[in-house]
Amino acid sequence: MIYEQPKFLPAGDRYLLIEFGNEMNLELNFMAQGLAAAAAAANIKGVIETAPCFASLLVHYEPTLIGYDDVVREFFRLSASLGSSEDIELESRLFYLPTHYLDPWTKACVDDYCAKIARKVPDPELLVQENGLEDVNHLVRLHSSSEYWVASLGFWPGLPFLMALDPRARLTAPKYNPPRTHTPEGAIGLGGAANSIYPVATPGGYQIFARTPVPIWDATGKRSAFEGSLCLFRPGDRIKFVPVTREDYDAAEEAVKEERYEYTIVEYQKFVVRNYNNWVSKVGEASNARVSA
Amino acid sequence: MIKVLKAGLETSIQDYPGRYGYWNQGFPPSGPMDSWSFRLANVLVGNLPGAAGLECQFLGPTLSFDADAVIAVTGADMRPALDGEPFPMWQSVAVRAGQTLALGAARVGGRAYIAVAGAFANEEKLGSRSTFNKAGVGGIDGHSIKAGQELPVAEGGGTPGLLVPNEHRPDIRTDRSWTIEVCAGPNDDWIDEAGKERFLNSAWTLSAKSDRTGFRLEGPEWTFTEKAYKKPKEHGSLPSNIIDQGYPMGAINLAGQTPIILVNDGPSMGGFINPYTVPSAAFWKLGQAKPGERLHFRLVSVAEAQHLAKEIAKRCVRENLVNA
Repeated sequence: MIYEQPKFLPAGDRYLLIEFGNEMNLELNFMAQGLAAAAAAANIKGVIETAPCFASLLVHYEPTLIGYDDVVREFFRLSASLGSSEDIELESRLFYLPTHYLDPWTKACVDDYCAKIARKVPDPELLVQENGLEDVNHLVRLHSSSEYWVASLGFWPGLPFLMALDPRARLTAPKYNPPRTHTPEGAIGLGGAANSIYPVATPGGYQIFARTPVPIWDATGKRSAFEGSLCLFRPGDRIKFVPVTREDYDAAEEAVKEERYEYTIVEYQKFVVRNYNNWVSKVGEASNARVSA
Repeated sequence: MIKVLKAGLETSIQDYPGRYGYWNQGFPPSGPMDSWSFRLANVLVGNLPGAAGLECQFLGPTLSFDADAVIAVTGADMRPALDGEPFPMWQSVAVRAGQTLALGAARVGGRAYIAVAGAFANEEKLGSRSTFNKAGVGGIDGHSIKAGQELPVAEGGGTPGLLVPNEHRPDIRTDRSWTIEVCAGPNDDWIDEAGKERFLNSAWTLSAKSDRTGFRLEGPEWTFTEKAYKKPKEHGSLPSNIIDQGYPMGAINLAGQTPIILVNDGPSMGGFINPYTVPSAAFWKLGQAKPGERLHFRLVSVAEAQHLAKEIAKRCVRENLVNA
């Protein structure tokens, strides 16, 4: 459900949580990101930062500069001025990431989990079963066919929560139970309806089936593609996974090590929700057909 | 330069309020947990209240000074000693080149703070010198200090012989029992009346499985309203599951039945509800509480919580210092 009016929920003495609805859909995230962008542009005195999530926006403010009621009033005004979510346009960079699907490292990680922790259907095969796909090659074709939307970052700094923009490529999967104690750095995974990339080796619960050799986290903060940050992505970016062979994976990894890897980033596009929705309704029937099959 | 002879349990460089502006990329603010004691340490040595100092957790470090300096130690009582002689807390003190400051195990409280005139001059990361140990960001090489390291210090003056009078210091409890303010929300409507009453009227034990990312609490069961059960399935299967949302610092985050207070190095988002939030004015108490101690929660309004934070800030100013 999308709420008619956003809900404003106090969260201690310096935070406010704004909820737009109680389901997971892109529309709600567009509203959260639209409001975050509007707040950044409005530069409201006393508002320190905002953080969009799937269906909500967290606002961090300095109470000695702005009171709670005034923060609510400012964000209510901003959200009203956004109009329909159809009218939202967002700066959106597009990242092409070389991706080795069905790679040996995530496979070894899953095998290790099965041997030591709990037996389970290997992750790619489980995704095939859960989503009624033909085989793992179908999984690769489908997964690599869509652009992915960076809905938010969290859990670990720089870890992106991604949603497939192409409704035909939307896959779902249960999460690991119990979670893995280890995931290879750069592993690409899926849990619930969200995709992610593991910035460093961490525990995890998503089904994993691919790996990118390209860092999305850099503690040195010196890689130029990161623009001074320690993580590659920002909310509102898009990612395209480009299937590569083992040779290409190794070559990219080598280039990263020798600090000559160049990221492929497209920076001249805006994401226009109206255009996106029009396109989704065009391709929507195909997607509905697949879901009901 | 200050040389680290012994690191202590987890001694880290922090500044206040820490690393703001990167919550949307998943970076917590970090910074000192007891910012009241921390700010007073800085004010004592003539620094800005938020300048980079050391947070010492449970067991303090041993440091040797290679130049004369004015320093102050505040917060938990770790029985500090300078060249073996008792070192007065809550005072600015001149130390000479070659002297050694040693802090032991915390006798009262959990975290001590060491400020040095001029402040620590480690490299800033994303606008802050604070250490986010878990991700290896800030501080020295991203982590808490280690034996053998040399900690850079900027030039500074500082006047020895200043003292924080008792009435301006935090009252660090000796009875192992703390009353922590909480504000209702953002997800308090997921907890039923009985659950709310149980939360506010029970003694909660601070678990040993606590660190700068989260403080785990042991106590009674939680019970929920309909909202926790009748929800779209993408929220998750547990009553405390919610569609991933932003977490405020101080959130009482309900992971299943275990409440975890998300503190300075905590996660920025996740899929559990936060029925209550500990406001910034109560964080010094969390910083001084030790595992096994009892926490009671007292409900306050947002306005009251904001007022309490202002009252603490008013105490952390130079005008309140007296001659020792």
